[in-house]
Amino acid sequence: MDSGDRAARRLFFSAGLTCALAGLLVLGFMVVLGLPLIRSGMLWDILTGPWSPDHGQFGILAMAVGSVYIAGLSLIIAFPVSLGASLFIEVVRPRGAGRLLEWLVRLMTAIPTVIYGFVGIFLLVPLVRSFSGQGSGLCILTAALMLAVLICPTMILFFSRSIARVPRTWLDAVDAMGGTPYQKVRHIIFPAAWPGIVSGTVLAFGRAVGDTLIALMLGGNAVTLPESVLDSARTLTAHIALVIAADFDSLEFKTIFISGILLYVMTGLGILAARAAEKNL
Amino acid sequence: MNDAPKIKIRGLNFWYAKRQILEDIRLDIRYRSITSITGPSGQGKSSFLTVFNRLWENIDGARATGRVCMDFGNGFEDINHPDCRLPLLRRRVGMVFQMPNPLPMSIRKNMAFPLTLMGEKNGKTVAAKAETALRQALLWDEIKDRLNEDARALSGGQQQRLCIARSLVLEPQVLLLDEPTSSLDEAAVHEMEKLLLRLKKDRTIILVSHYMDQVRRIADRHLVLRDKKLVSP
Amino acid sequence: MIPSRVNGEACDRLMTLFCWGCALTLTLVLAAILGFLFFKGWHVLGPKLIFGEVRPLDALLFKKRVFSGLFPAALGTFCLICLAVGTALPLGLACGIYMAEYASNRVKSFFSLMVDILAAIPSIVVGLFGFSITVFLHHYFGGRILPCLGISGIALAFLVLPYIVKTTRIALEQIPLEIRMTGLSLGASPLQNLRHVLIPASLSDIMAGIVLAIGRCAEDTAVIMLTGVVATAGVPKSLFSPFEALPFFIYYTASEYSDPAELEAAYGAALILLAICTGLFIISFQIKRRYNSFN
Repeated sequence: MDSGDRAARRLFFSAGLTCALAGLLVLGFMVVLGLPLIRSGMLWDILTGPWSPDHGQFGILAMAVGSVYIAGLSLIIAFPVSLGASLFIEVVRPRGAGRLLEWLVRLMTAIPTVIYGFVGIFLLVPLVRSFSGQGSGLCILTAALMLAVLICPTMILFFSRSIARVPRTWLDAVDAMGGTPYQKVRHIIFPAAWPGIVSGTVLAFGRAVGDTLIALMLGGNAVTLPESVLDSARTLTAHIALVIAADFDSLEFKTIFISGILLYVMTGLGILAARAAEKNL
Repeated sequence: MNDAPKIKIRGLNFWYAKRQILEDIRLDIRYRSITSITGPSGQGKSSFLTVFNRLWENIDGARATGRVCMDFGNGFEDINHPDCRLPLLRRRVGMVFQMPNPLPMSIRKNMAFPLTLMGEKNGKTVAAKAETALRQALLWDEIKDRLNEDARALSGGQQQRLCIARSLVLEPQVLLLDEPTSSLDEAAVHEMEKLLLRLKKDRTIILVSHYMDQVRRIADRHLVLRDKKLVSP
Repeated sequence: MIPSRVNGEACDRLMTLFCWGCALTLTLVLAAILGFLFFKGWHVLGPKLIFGEVRPLDALLFKKRVFSGLFPAALGTFCLICLAVGTALPLGLACGIYMAEYASNRVKSFFSLMVDILAAIPSIVVGLFGFSITVFLHHYFGGRILPCLGISGIALAFLVLPYIVKTTRIALEQIPLEIRMTGLSLGASPLQNLRHVLIPASLSDIMAGIVLAIGRCAEDTAVIMLTGVVATAGVPKSLFSPFEALPFFIYYTASEYSDPAELEAAYGAALILLAICTGLFIISFQIKRRYNSFN
């Protein structure tokens, strides 16, 4: 290996290291800026208390619950639809229609989040308002429905990829012995593809928790603990977006770093969980 | 009885994408016989085999027209007719692939699987049928103590015989074999040929092969696929 | 002995029905979203939407300021894309090359984990990170540094970096061994092989990935919301000035519009942004399909 090669290798390595450490850098910045708050011993109050700046209370529990509530509900809506759609693409495969749906789903990944939020405000919110007959229509259900549309493509593409990886010879064997498509799915495809299905679901959950615009525009942003799907709620992401305008030195402002760290940890754990599920093949 | 036709093919055409592979095939296949098909590779021998259980429908771009009639005891029925139930057809027409394809489960479960699919729940019946089929496939003595092992741990020859046994468990009247010995060593090939000669005593066997000497040893009738037609050599 | 009934046929029919139902639901939802936008927004599309009352040429040459059009926002988005992709591209390419060509398995799996984590960070958190950088710079350089175009660009670069790393790496790893060996067997050094064989061979896939990264920059709202985008700033003057962007315009107008004309402009902006993003997606798709030599 000549010196040029060695220099190139070193250059590529340092770039690689930079990228690898970039994620830690993001975390580091937030920890440093959140540190005064962590040190002050108020961390527990912030993680579990109510949000009432006028009374000096800056708890973000309601936001954390809001995040999980909205993301969880969107997952409950999106999961069956995604599973059905990926089976449609990979197993039912009607001539042409399967390819068409796959293409549409890929196209959906290109639609900007803000557009989902925008259409949500002017199309979905009035619908939910008139169906529920109460409130403004800005609520957990509205946000979760739109969020479900956002995460469906992620899940469908992930599911169909792991279904497509099931060896063709196994499927041919079942077909040749007279198994129906349903039996193929139940006895061969699900047992073989479940790690992919689990990890795709976990990743989609991370995507839903991490999304800002839809929850911000459609969730109503109330700071109380939500009780029903028609209550409005604020997610951690929306909280960051809303409080960023506050005075930099205020305690209120510093809670957004805790929110950021919380989001980071949640999505990071999601990645680790998804990887663990996939290794479990 | 030996002369009674089991399968009648009339006006069969087969395309793969835009390429025609079979053209206006007419063929009768007798009961209790081994019919072998040879021919240059890439001419569609394997595709021809999938005509008998309509497995070609799984291949993107494949298309077949014409009549393939089989007699399962109620006179000839066209298997391409819309009334023909695919799962039922495929239980009567077993298939063994070029590469052994055991499912990712134990030997016992592999053998029980076809029966599970058709709704057989009685454990004793399943075990008895599996044993019969394994004995027919000359595999029982080798593996009777290993039934709970993963089927993929068997040797290549054993896997292939397991796959034959697995298709025999449904007692198919027609057995399709796609170069079943191409992945086996010499001793296993010999075993396999003996097995096929025994199996033909009560079923119709259609065998794709490219070993001429093998064909000469076991086939009752020999056909060559050449220029979209099946001809006698 | 074989029952004439097909076991589990009811389940089979149910499954097929369910899958069709899901597929149709999804298609209808997509059609509703797109149809709604087109129905509401197509009639405002035109030069006036972008340039307001100013002549397009004057606006493009910065002779006159556009007040009531989308031009400043579109230009802001364009600058953002250039900045972010320009920053992330060299770094991401080099990292992808290192992972595909040089790294040992252990290093590779560690790097890919870290890149996955980076990719999973919510964009608002990346925005918060950009904001934190501003705070640090503000602290060390005095009051002159505020949230601005430059900071947004850098933060967005963090967002698209993992995309570029991943596509580069996958594109290189897909190259068949024969092609890989040809150059080496002719006496090329690893670097020469990379430059003359591997990168040209995987260029289409890498390009397709970069186009997708551009789309990601164009659509992101959360990052820039925290790092300097504002509702009215005119065309961006420098790296250190606040700026406008299309997605933020859409978000802002949706909640703060004062008259129907403003809302119509937001519909128009949404259509334009949609066209940009789906257009980029289709370009990426075509690059991949047309020029992919092995796949």
